[in-house]
Amino acid sequence: MTTGRLRNLAATLLLGTSIVAIGAGQARAGDLVIALPASIEPANLDYHVDPYTTTQLLNSFLTESLIVIAPDGSYAPALATSWEINEDATQYTFTLRDDVVFTDGTAFNAEAVKANFDRFMAPETASTQLAGVTGPLAEVEVVDEFTVRFHYDAPWVTFLDAARRAPMWSPSAFAEHTPQSFDRVLTGTGPFTLDNWVQNDHIRMVRADSYSGDWNGVAQISGPVGIDSVTFRFIGEPAVLGAVVASGEAHVAFQIPALSVEDYIDDDSVSLISMGQSGTGMTQVMNVRIPPLDNRNVRQALLYARDMEMINDLLYDGLYGASDGPLNNIHPCFWTGASDMYRPNPARAMELLDEAGWVDEGGPVRVARGVSGVADGTPLQLRWQTLHHSEIGEALQALYRQIGIDMSVQIVPGPVQLEEVQRRTFSLMYERLRSMDPVILDDKWNPAYDQPGGWAWTGYDNPELTALVSQLRTNPDPDSRCEVARQAQQIIMEEALLIPTLSQPSFIVVDNRVDGFQMGAEGSFFYLQDVTLN
Amino acid sequence: MGNYVLARLLQLLPVLFLISLIVFGIMHLLPGDPALLMLAGAEGGAISPERLAALRREMGLDDPLPLQFWNFVSGAVVGDLGTSIRFREPVLDMILDRLGSTVELAVAGLLCAMLIGIPLGLIAAVRQGGWIDAFCMSVSYLGASIPVYWLGLMLIFFFALTLGWFPSAGGGSLQALVLPALTLGLISAGLIARLVRSSMIEVLQEDYMRTGQAKGLPTRLLLWRHGLRNALIPVVTMMGLQFGGMLAGTVVTETVFSRPGVGRLIVNAIIAMDYPLVQGAVLFLAVLYVLVNLLVDILYAYLDPRIRYDS
Repeated sequence: MTTGRLRNLAATLLLGTSIVAIGAGQARAGDLVIALPASIEPANLDYHVDPYTTTQLLNSFLTESLIVIAPDGSYAPALATSWEINEDATQYTFTLRDDVVFTDGTAFNAEAVKANFDRFMAPETASTQLAGVTGPLAEVEVVDEFTVRFHYDAPWVTFLDAARRAPMWSPSAFAEHTPQSFDRVLTGTGPFTLDNWVQNDHIRMVRADSYSGDWNGVAQISGPVGIDSVTFRFIGEPAVLGAVVASGEAHVAFQIPALSVEDYIDDDSVSLISMGQSGTGMTQVMNVRIPPLDNRNVRQALLYARDMEMINDLLYDGLYGASDGPLNNIHPCFWTGASDMYRPNPARAMELLDEAGWVDEGGPVRVARGVSGVADGTPLQLRWQTLHHSEIGEALQALYRQIGIDMSVQIVPGPVQLEEVQRRTFSLMYERLRSMDPVILDDKWNPAYDQPGGWAWTGYDNPELTALVSQLRTNPDPDSRCEVARQAQQIIMEEALLIPTLSQPSFIVVDNRVDGFQMGAEGSFFYLQDVTLN
Repeated sequence: MGNYVLARLLQLLPVLFLISLIVFGIMHLLPGDPALLMLAGAEGGAISPERLAALRREMGLDDPLPLQFWNFVSGAVVGDLGTSIRFREPVLDMILDRLGSTVELAVAGLLCAMLIGIPLGLIAAVRQGGWIDAFCMSVSYLGASIPVYWLGLMLIFFFALTLGWFPSAGGGSLQALVLPALTLGLISAGLIARLVRSSMIEVLQEDYMRTGQAKGLPTRLLLWRHGLRNALIPVVTMMGLQFGGMLAGTVVTETVFSRPGVGRLIVNAIIAMDYPLVQGAVLFLAVLYVLVNLLVDILYAYLDPRIRYDS
C-alpha cells in the first residue's frame, strides 16, 4: 500500500469516526434523554430498600403508589380511587382500582398491597427510609379484594406521605428475588419497564404498551406514553451537566448548577424551569450548649447582621428562593412573621453584642468582658460548617466582620458533619430537611431526637416548643397542624436558634422539542406520562 | 526465569499486606460512622439508637479493629473482598463489573501516549538542537505538566460541547473513549517523548549507527531498524509504570467524564464511607499495578537478550 493510499484511508477513517461521533451525540426521535447529577444516582433502584429521593422518582416511572402528589401539592388518586382516615388517625382505608395488572400479568389487589407493605417492613429488607416513614404500623388488613386498611396503635398522621412514597411491585416478581437483586427486574404497573441499568452511567426504560394513563390522577393523556424510551444519564461534572442540553446530548438536564442558568436565559430553544423545594431551606443551626451561642443576644445579633437579599443578588443573581424562617417561604405552613422579625440592622446587632458582654475595644474582633464561662479578652469567634454553598458563609463572614465577629468558614463532608454533631462541638452547622409536611419541625426541634441519627442538633430544650412540635405527629387536621407549626416557628425565631439563609431551587432545562414535561409540587419530582417528542 | 518470577511473587506478599494495612488504617481513622451515614442518608426522620446499634453489629463495626482487619485480609486471600455497605453487593463482583471499562480506558490512554510520545521524541532527537527539537520538547513539557482534571474539562468543552464531535460523558462506545483516552494519554505522552528523545540521542551516537551510516544505509532504515528498536528498551519499562499510573489516573478521568469504572467506584465509595468497597477496590488496583510491573520486567528480558534474571 502506497503512502498516498494510506493517507487517504486514514482520512476516510477519521471522517467516518467524526460522523459516527456526531450521530452518537444526538438522541433518536422517541428516545428521551434526561441528564441527572451523578451525585444522586441510587445505590439500589428499589425504594423499598434505598432511601434516596431519586430512587423514589425513578420508581415512579416504573410503577405507581396508592396515591400521588399532584402538581398543586394535593394528594390525588393513583392505584387507590379513594381513601378514608378515622378521627384519631389510627386507621387508613383505601379503595383500590379493580382494573390494574402488573406488567408481568399479576393482578393488582388488596393482597398485593399487603404483600408490598409486609415486604419493606420486614427486617430482612432493611428498608432505610420507607419503613421509617411508615412508622409503627400494627397491621395491614385485607378487607376485601379491593379494599385495604392500615392500622396503628397510636395516631400516625403522616401515613398518606408513606402511601404516596411506597411503590407497588408485583408480589409474584419480588417473591422470586432477594431484596438486593430485585432492583434489576423491577416489575410494576407504570408507563415504563426497566430495560437496563449500567451503574455510574445510565438507566434506560422502555414504554410499557399495556399501560393505561387513566390509572394515575396526574396523567392527562390516556394509554401508553408517547415516547419509545427514556434514558437517564448520570453526569459527574456539574459544568458538563449544565451544558448537555445546549450541545444536543440530552433533552432535559435536571438540577443544573446556578452558574449554568444564565447560558439558557435568552435561549428560545429551551424552557428554563426554576422549582422551589418546600422544607427548611438551607439553614445553619446554632449550638446553644456552649458560649457564645448560649446567649440569645449573640444569636439575635447574627440574624440582624445578615442581609440575605443582597447575598442572593450577589451570588446567584437573585435566582435562589427566600428562606426567612425555620420553614422556607414556599412551605405551606411558613410563618410570615419571620420575614419581618430580623430586617438587616447592623447597629442593633452591635448593641446586642455589647449587652451580651462582647465588646469592641478597637481591634478587628470583639472580646469578652464579664461573659459567663468565658475568660475575659477571649475573641468572639465562630465556625460556619457546611456541606456545600460555602460562598454564602463567606459573604456572611464579611458582614459579621463589620460588627466585630471573626467567623471561619469550613466545608465538611457528610461523615464529618455527623461526627461534629455527635461531639456537640460545632457552633454553626448546616442542616436542611425537605418535605411539604410540617412534621420536620418535630424532627429538628424536639429534644427527643437529640440522639445519633436524629436531627435535633441545637441542644435547645423548651417544654413549650416541644409540646407544640410533638402535636405535629398526632394532630391529623392539616389546618390545625399548620397553625401549630407557625406558633413553633415564632418561638424558634424569637429565640434565634438558627440562621436561615436561602432556599436552593431545582433548575431544570427542557429542550423545546419536548412536550408535556411536568414538574411535581416538589422540586425533586417530575412526571413523564404526558411527554411527547417533536 | 522461573525462580525470578517466584521470588518476585513472594516479594508481593509484604507489599500487599502493607497496602491493606494502610488503606484499612486510613479508612478507619477518618471521622464518620458508616452505619449512621447509611441510615441518615435520606433526609427526614430520626433513627432510633437500637436501629443504629443493630446495623453497627450487622456490619461488624463493633468488632475490635484488629479483628476487622483480620476478617478483611483473610477474606481477601480467598477472593472474598466483603460486601459493599451501600450497594449490598459483593465487592469483587462490583469491581469485576467495572474493570473492563477501566482497563479499556488505561489501554487506550497508553496507546495515545505511545502514538503521540514516540514520534514526538524521535523527531526531537533527529532534529536535536534545532527549533523542531525545542518545539517538540515544549509540547512534551506542556503535556506532562497540565493537570488531568483541567485538561479533561477543556477537551470536553471544545470537542464535545462546542464542536459536538464526541459525547461529553458516559461509556460503552468507541466515541465515548476518545476524549478520556486523550486526557489520560497526553500526560504520559510528554514523559515518553522526553525519554525517547534522550534514549535516541544516546543510540544515535553509538558506533553501530555510524557504521550503518558509513555503509550507506538509508536514513529511514537506519533509524527504524537499528535506532528506534534499541532506543525503545527503556521506554518499555517506562510504559509498564505508566500503565499502572494510568490505572490510578482513571480515578480522576472517570469522574470528569462520568465513565463507569473502578476509579469512579472508589471516589463514590470514599464519599459514602463504604469501607469494604474502598479497601477492596484499592487493594485490587494495587495487585493489578504490581502484576503489570512484573509482566513488564519479564517482557524486558525477552526484548533485550543481554538481560538474564537467573544470573
